[in-house]
Amino acid sequence: MSNGIDGDVILRVDDLKKYFTPHQGFLQSFGKVRKVVRAVDGVSFEIRRGEIFGLIGESGSGKTTTGKLVMKLIDPTSGRILFNGRDVTSIGQAETKEYRRQVQMIFQDPYASMNPRFKIRDVLEEPLEIHRISGNRAERDTRVVRALTEVKLTPPEDFMGRFPHMLSGGQRQRVATARTLILNPAMLVADEPVSMIDLSTRAEILHMMKDVQRDLGLTYLYITHDLSTARYFTDRIAVMYLGRIVEMGRADDIIDHPAHPYTRALIEAVPEPVTGKVDEVKELPISGEIPSPSNIPPGCRFHTRCPFAKEECRAEAEPELMDLGGGHYHACRRWKEIG
Amino acid sequence: MKLDDAAFRLKEFWDEFRKERNGLVGLGILAAAILAVFLEPLIIPYPEASSRWRDITYWQDNSKSAPPAWTNLFTARKSAVARTLQDARIQDRGPGEKVYTYTYDYDYNRAPYDLLVRGEGSGNIPLTVTVRRPDGVSVEIVRYVLQDLAGQTFRLSFSNEGRSNALEFLRKTERPENAAQIATMSYGVAEILFSKAEPDFVKGPKPLTGRYEIEVTAGFTDPRASIEHMEIVVVGRVSGILGTDSMKRDIFSGVVAGMKWALMIGLLTSIVSVLVGVFYGITAAYFGGRVDSVMMLIFDYFISLPVLPILIVFSAVYKPSIWTIIAALILFFWVGPVKTVRSMALQIKEETYIEAAKALGAGHGRIIFRHMAPLLIPYSFASMALAVPGAIVYESSVSLLGLGDATIVSWGQILHDALGSGAVLSGLWWWVVPPGLLIAVMGMTFAFLGFAMDKILHPKLKTR
Repeated sequence: MSNGIDGDVILRVDDLKKYFTPHQGFLQSFGKVRKVVRAVDGVSFEIRRGEIFGLIGESGSGKTTTGKLVMKLIDPTSGRILFNGRDVTSIGQAETKEYRRQVQMIFQDPYASMNPRFKIRDVLEEPLEIHRISGNRAERDTRVVRALTEVKLTPPEDFMGRFPHMLSGGQRQRVATARTLILNPAMLVADEPVSMIDLSTRAEILHMMKDVQRDLGLTYLYITHDLSTARYFTDRIAVMYLGRIVEMGRADDIIDHPAHPYTRALIEAVPEPVTGKVDEVKELPISGEIPSPSNIPPGCRFHTRCPFAKEECRAEAEPELMDLGGGHYHACRRWKEIG
Repeated sequence: MKLDDAAFRLKEFWDEFRKERNGLVGLGILAAAILAVFLEPLIIPYPEASSRWRDITYWQDNSKSAPPAWTNLFTARKSAVARTLQDARIQDRGPGEKVYTYTYDYDYNRAPYDLLVRGEGSGNIPLTVTVRRPDGVSVEIVRYVLQDLAGQTFRLSFSNEGRSNALEFLRKTERPENAAQIATMSYGVAEILFSKAEPDFVKGPKPLTGRYEIEVTAGFTDPRASIEHMEIVVVGRVSGILGTDSMKRDIFSGVVAGMKWALMIGLLTSIVSVLVGVFYGITAAYFGGRVDSVMMLIFDYFISLPVLPILIVFSAVYKPSIWTIIAALILFFWVGPVKTVRSMALQIKEETYIEAAKALGAGHGRIIFRHMAPLLIPYSFASMALAVPGAIVYESSVSLLGLGDATIVSWGQILHDALGSGAVLSGLWWWVVPPGLLIAVMGMTFAFLGFAMDKILHPKLKTR
C-alpha cells in the first residue's frame, strides 16, 4: 500500500474561513448587530497525492462545510485552496468545470444524491455528457459498464436499466462511487459515505473504496464522525472542533496517543461490543452540546467542555497548532500537564 | 442531445406510455380531434360553415331552432327531417317545356315547415310547381315567372308563393261552416299538402303518408333561358346531427369547424404560456437573490394588470384577429404557473442531487433543464390541461367584448350566441350541450395525457 505520506501535495488549504450571515427581517435590522455563524474558522491542512485524509468531528464542527468549500460548492469568506499548486479559490466557470473533473464528491445520503427519475445508466452517463467525453452511445455504455464493474456491481447490464429507488443503500453508494470514478478524477471528497448504510455493508463499501483507491491511485478526503472507520480507512486524520482543527497526524498516532482532550473524549466515546462491556454506560469526560458557531467561546474554544480547563484557557488567546514531531500536531496548551 | 439519443428516449417513453390506459384514451380522443380537423370538409354538410358562419344568406334555407334528426327515435309523433331533393327525372313536354319530377317519401306525423324550389337560372322562365299526392290528387301550388335572371340563384317558397292555391285546394273538401276559419288558421302550406284532404281539417289535420311527386314545369321559350342545379329543399322540423340554432345555422357544422380553432387557441395559448411561466418560475427560484426579486417584481406587475381595460386597448390598437387574441391571452396566462413553480423549484433546488450535479460540473442550463424541469413536467401538463379550456372559454369572453375574430367560428362563440339567445330558457339543449361538452372533453383529454405522463415521469408512483 502506498500510504502516500511522502508524496507531493495535491491539495493545500490555507486558513480557510466560511462565515454565514443569517437572514434578517426588516424589524430585526433595527435591533442588535447580526450574529455571524462561523462554520469554518481558519482551517489549514495539506493532502498528499495517493493518501486518504480523514476529517473528523461531531455534527456542527464544520467538516462538511470544509468538504463543500474544497468542492467549490460554496465560496469561502477568506483563505485559499491550492490544487496541484494552483490557486483555485476564485477561478472562472470553465476552470471550475475542469477542476470538478479532477475533484469529485461522494455524498452522505445515497438516497438523495441521485436524481430519482434517472436510470442508473443516465446517472452514470451524466458526467460524460457534462464533460463531453465519448460521443456515441456505445462508447458511453462501455465506460458505464467498466465503472460498474469497478465498484463490483455485476452483472452491470442488470443495473443499468434500474432506477435508484430499486437499489439498496449499499448498491446506491456503489453507483455514486462509480459516477465519480467515470471521469478518472485525481481526488475524491467522500462526505460520510457509509454513515447511512447498514452496518453489515459498511465494511464492504469501505473495502471497495479502498480497492478502487489503490487500483487507480486516488486521493481521498474522507469526512466522518466515526473514529473506528477512520482508523481502518485513513492514513492521516484531522480532528475538527467548532470550525477549527484541534489535532492532526497519522491515524494510528492520533488514536493511540491522542494529545488533545477533545480527541481523547471522542476515542473514549467509541462503544466496544465486548461481553461485559456492552451494558456499561461510559462516563464521558466531556459534557454538554457543542456550542453554537454563532457564539464561539473566547480563548480556547473547547474550554467550556474541557475537563482540564483552567483560567488561562479562557483568558489567553486561542492556541495555534503545535508540532509534536512526526507530523503530529495539536492545539492544547496544557497537553504536557494533562498527558 | 444527439438525434439517435432523442429517438431512443422517445421510444423508451412510448414503451412506458403504452401501458397507461388513461393516457391512451386521451391520446385517442386527441387523435380523433386532429383527424376531425383534417377531414373537416368531408364530414360537415356545410363546407363553408367556418368562413360564412355569420352570413345569413348561407343559412337562410334551413329550419330555425330545429332539434337534431335523431330525436325522432324518442318521440311518438315523428317530425319531417330537413333534406334536399336533388335527383330529378327530366322529361321534355312539347316545344320549349321541361318537367322536372322529384319524388319525396313522406312518413312523418308532423309536416315540414316549408318547401322551397331553388336553382340557378338565366333569362325569363315561367315555372309551375305541382304536387302529386299519394291519394291521387294533384295540387298546382306555385305559378311564377322568373324574370331577367343572369345565372343568379332563385328561391321559390311554397308558403310565400302558394298559400292562396293551397287554401283553395283545402276549401274543396272542407265543410262550409268551417270555411271562415280557413283564412285565419295557423296551419301552413306544407301542412295542407301533407295532410289528408278531408272535412274538419281546421280542427286538426291528419298526416297523409306515402310517395309524393313534386313536378316543376319550366318553359324555355326565351332563347337565353336555362336552369342549373335545381333542387327541392324540405325545411324540416328536425335537422341534421345536432340540429340548428335560432339563426338557422347547422350546429354540427359549426362545432366541427370550431374544433380546429379550439385546438389552436387552447394548445397554443396553454403551451406557450405554461412554458414561459414554468421557466420563469424555475429561473427565479434557481438563481434566487436579486434575480429572484426583480423577476418577482415583474411578475407582480403582470398579475396585477387589469385584464379588461388592456384588452380593450388591444382591440383599439390591433385588428382583432385570432392571432392577436392568442397573443393577448398568452400575455395574461403565463403568470398562472409561476408562483407554484417557483415554490416547487425552491424546494427541488435544495435536493442533494442538484448539489451532486453541480459537483459533477453541470452548468446552470443542465441543472434547470435536465434536473429541475422534468420534475415540473407533470405539474406543467396539469396546468396546460387546465389552461386549455380556460383559454377556449376566455376566447369566447373576448368575443363578447367585440374583440372576437368575426371571420371564424369557435365553440366559445357558439356558446356565447346560445347564451345571448336564451337557448337554455327555450330548451334548445342541442345548441348548448355539444360545444359545452366538447370543451369539457378537450379538457379531460389533456388531463388524461397529463396523468399518464405524471406516472411515467414519476417512477416512484409506478406499481411494480
